[in-house]
Amino acid sequence: MTDDLVLDVRDVKKSYEGLEVLKGIGFGLRRGETKVLVGPSGSGKSTLLRCINHLTPPDEGRIFLSGEEVLEKNIDAMRARIGFVFQDFNLFSHLTVLDNVRICQVKVKGVAADVATERAQQELERVGLGDKASAYPAELSGGQQQRVSIARALAMDPDVLLFDEPTSALDPELTGEVVRVMQKLASDGMTMVVVTHEMSFARQAADELIFMENGYIIEQGPPQQLFSSAANDRTRAFLNVIAEHG
Amino acid sequence: MCREPDLDIYDVLLRDFPFLLKGLGVAVVLLVALLLIGFVLGMAICLLQLYGPRTLLVQWPLKVYERVFRGVPIIIMLFIFYYGVSGIYDISAFAAAVLAMGLRSAAYQSQIFRSAFQSVPAGQMMAARAMGMSKIKAIRHIVFPQSARHAIGPWTNEFSSEIKETSLAYVIGVVELTRQAHYIITSTQGNVLMVFAVVALLYFVLNRAGNSLLYAFERKLAVPGFEK
Ligand SMILES: Nc1ncnc2c1ncn2[C@@H]1O[C@H](COP(=O)(O)OP(=O)(O)OP(=O)(O)O)[C@@H](O)[C@H]1O
Ligand SMILES: [Mg+2]
Repeated sequence: MTDDLVLDVRDVKKSYEGLEVLKGIGFGLRRGETKVLVGPSGSGKSTLLRCINHLTPPDEGRIFLSGEEVLEKNIDAMRARIGFVFQDFNLFSHLTVLDNVRICQVKVKGVAADVATERAQQELERVGLGDKASAYPAELSGGQQQRVSIARALAMDPDVLLFDEPTSALDPELTGEVVRVMQKLASDGMTMVVVTHEMSFARQAADELIFMENGYIIEQGPPQQLFSSAANDRTRAFLNVIAEHG
Repeated sequence: MCREPDLDIYDVLLRDFPFLLKGLGVAVVLLVALLLIGFVLGMAICLLQLYGPRTLLVQWPLKVYERVFRGVPIIIMLFIFYYGVSGIYDISAFAAAVLAMGLRSAAYQSQIFRSAFQSVPAGQMMAARAMGMSKIKAIRHIVFPQSARHAIGPWTNEFSSEIKETSLAYVIGVVELTRQAHYIITSTQGNVLMVFAVVALLYFVLNRAGNSLLYAFERKLAVPGFEK
């Protein structure tokens, strides 16, 4: 066990009605690390991310956040420290962009309203949307909505950020602006786990690439190494396929 | 025949207009009371159905309640509550009407709220929970305000139909607008059409006023760029 792990996932298992989706997954993240998770559809990537913050409670295994175990009884407090970015954004549609980024600071962390507003404005500037504070989500493009959802997660000052295919719901011409924001976060020293098929992001920003298949981690290592000389045949085959199509 | 001298129907209406207004007042109080009971109870039923324990012990009685109150004519419910309950407990006609109509409105309102809550995409609750909101906070700050947008239209319909149905409280002797009208008609013999035309106008004005308020509220809840 390493003490300086921000996120420590140990031997997590999860089944849905007899179908074992995660068969014992473990990995860890030190502060400032970015790991990219790839694998075929159905390999359990989303399930793994959702197990980390108990959106889907794991059947077995343990999860530690900065040394503290994530449990049912402290789940709300833990979730406030685990940012989650969804594929389809899930911005609160009745609130302005600013309020989207403010509300959980105020209602979950109890931050004072004016402090929350200032922080929200800062995070919006950070994702390049300082001028959209008073817009409503439905008035924004998909790329802009996803950047707001990243700002919303950042405003909670999380220990770690989890991204579940943040660009998959976007038109191709809009993925770039989101990937650039994520790259900036990675180089700013944010700790992140990113499920994505954007291999340009993996190459430039990931400290480690994790390849999952059938509920197991098949292989992990620096992206350059996996791209050029993965030890496992299936890893190599998969990376070739997404390098061509992704 | 003892005809009141020098009083044509206009004079009678003018003279008795305060009684009509009083009847209108009773109708409005009945309306507000039944809508309030319907709102509180309907919301509770809806929340239990959507977020409460899934056991049959809780869910089944709620379903039966809803079916019964939506399936039985309101006149029958009024009689049951007035004559039925007064055998056990001395209940005024007004209280019986408030209860019967309020409980029925709860059944309708619970349905309105339920489909309004269900029309909020599941991702909204999920995102709120993922950021550390408790279920209750997520309902209060995220799901409820969004569902209000969906509920207000059907709720306006419920409001309109309940206004009209308050007139049925007449059958158990509540002295609301329709009964006041009836008193005037019996005291003047004839002129039924004239009196009921005035009464119809009063119901209509009340209905329009309420609708305008609710539409204004609906516009206030509307979110730019968001299509229902
Ligand atoms: N709520 C659920 N109930 C039942 N089965 C589920 C549920 N969620 C996921 N599964 C199943 O678990 C398996 C893993 O799904 P998961 O979404 O984690 O895969 P993924 O790697 O994220 O795939 P994708 O790349 O398509 O997003 C799939 O076979 C899926 O059908
Ligand atoms: Mg997935």
